[in-house]
Amino acid sequence: MADRSFEAELERRFADSPVFPDADLFAARVGAVVDRGWGARRLLIGGLGLVGGLIGGIQVLRLDLVEHIGGFQTSTQTLVSSGLAHFPQVRAMADMISSGASMDAEVLWMSGGLAILALGLFVTRAFRDI
Amino acid sequence: MAQSLAARASAHDLDLVAQATRGDRQAFGELVRRHGSAIRALLRRMGADATLADDLAQDAFLAAFEQIGEFRGDGPFQSWVKRIAARLYVKRWRRDGRVSLSEDVSELEAAMDGAFVGSDDRLDLDDALRSLAPGERVCVSLCYGAGFSHTEAAAALNAPLGTVKSHVKRGLDKLKARLAPPGKSLGLEANGHG
Repeated sequence: MADRSFEAELERRFADSPVFPDADLFAARVGAVVDRGWGARRLLIGGLGLVGGLIGGIQVLRLDLVEHIGGFQTSTQTLVSSGLAHFPQVRAMADMISSGASMDAEVLWMSGGLAILALGLFVTRAFRDI
Repeated sequence: MAQSLAARASAHDLDLVAQATRGDRQAFGELVRRHGSAIRALLRRMGADATLADDLAQDAFLAAFEQIGEFRGDGPFQSWVKRIAARLYVKRWRRDGRVSLSEDVSELEAAMDGAFVGSDDRLDLDDALRSLAPGERVCVSLCYGAGFSHTEAAAALNAPLGTVKSHVKRGLDKLKARLAPPGKSLGLEANGHG
């Protein structure tokens, strides 16, 4: 009984800790380390995302995707043109749209760059949310 | 999204934890401000000097921030961080190999015994803890300061359960003799325990 009381008293005394005069300073110090670690981690993850995106982009280009897409575009165009031949009004509209949206290598490069950037941002954001 | 300082200062720990879980570092900063002293005090009571206690307390809070998603709120936030801090101290204590639990009793007990003879009998807990051998001090602090069970303390210290229990028992006896000598009241009647 007395032992239990003493143990309870001991727990109470342990819980009754003083407030250090430099408590705010300590909190600021910890906060600075947390912020530094957080920033470094974001940079690291963003950098890794960028490198990953670049590697992915290079691999895509090495697989001659541009040529594949070009070939696909030509065959699709042929197919669509032959289909549209039966519908003159629709064809006129399609011609009007496609005249302003030719897909060449420059557009692909630009899209690739944007995709890499988006990937980097996505990974950074995803990590922050986690 | 940004919360005013006043609102943050009055927020409940669990709300701050929820915000910190979403990456709000300022909310976590408020938790550090609230509980930093308790964590530092525990580490000092376990036997760390002021510098080591501050470093380990910082590491404990950083670990807490990293693992904050694992905090379920089934106990106070402070207790959770205390357990992290205590484990860090034990890890350091064992790594430094200062004193092993099996050998500290005879040598250090002899050195410490009598150190407080003739001292003021109103020694506070901090002073009383200094009268314990390091192993006793760590075991008592783990069990009564950080809320470890004897089994958890034995696992953390990588020591046999019986050894931990005997250190706790010896430590308690010494503390009792210093903090609550026969005839002295600690005001336990109002405590309601027992």
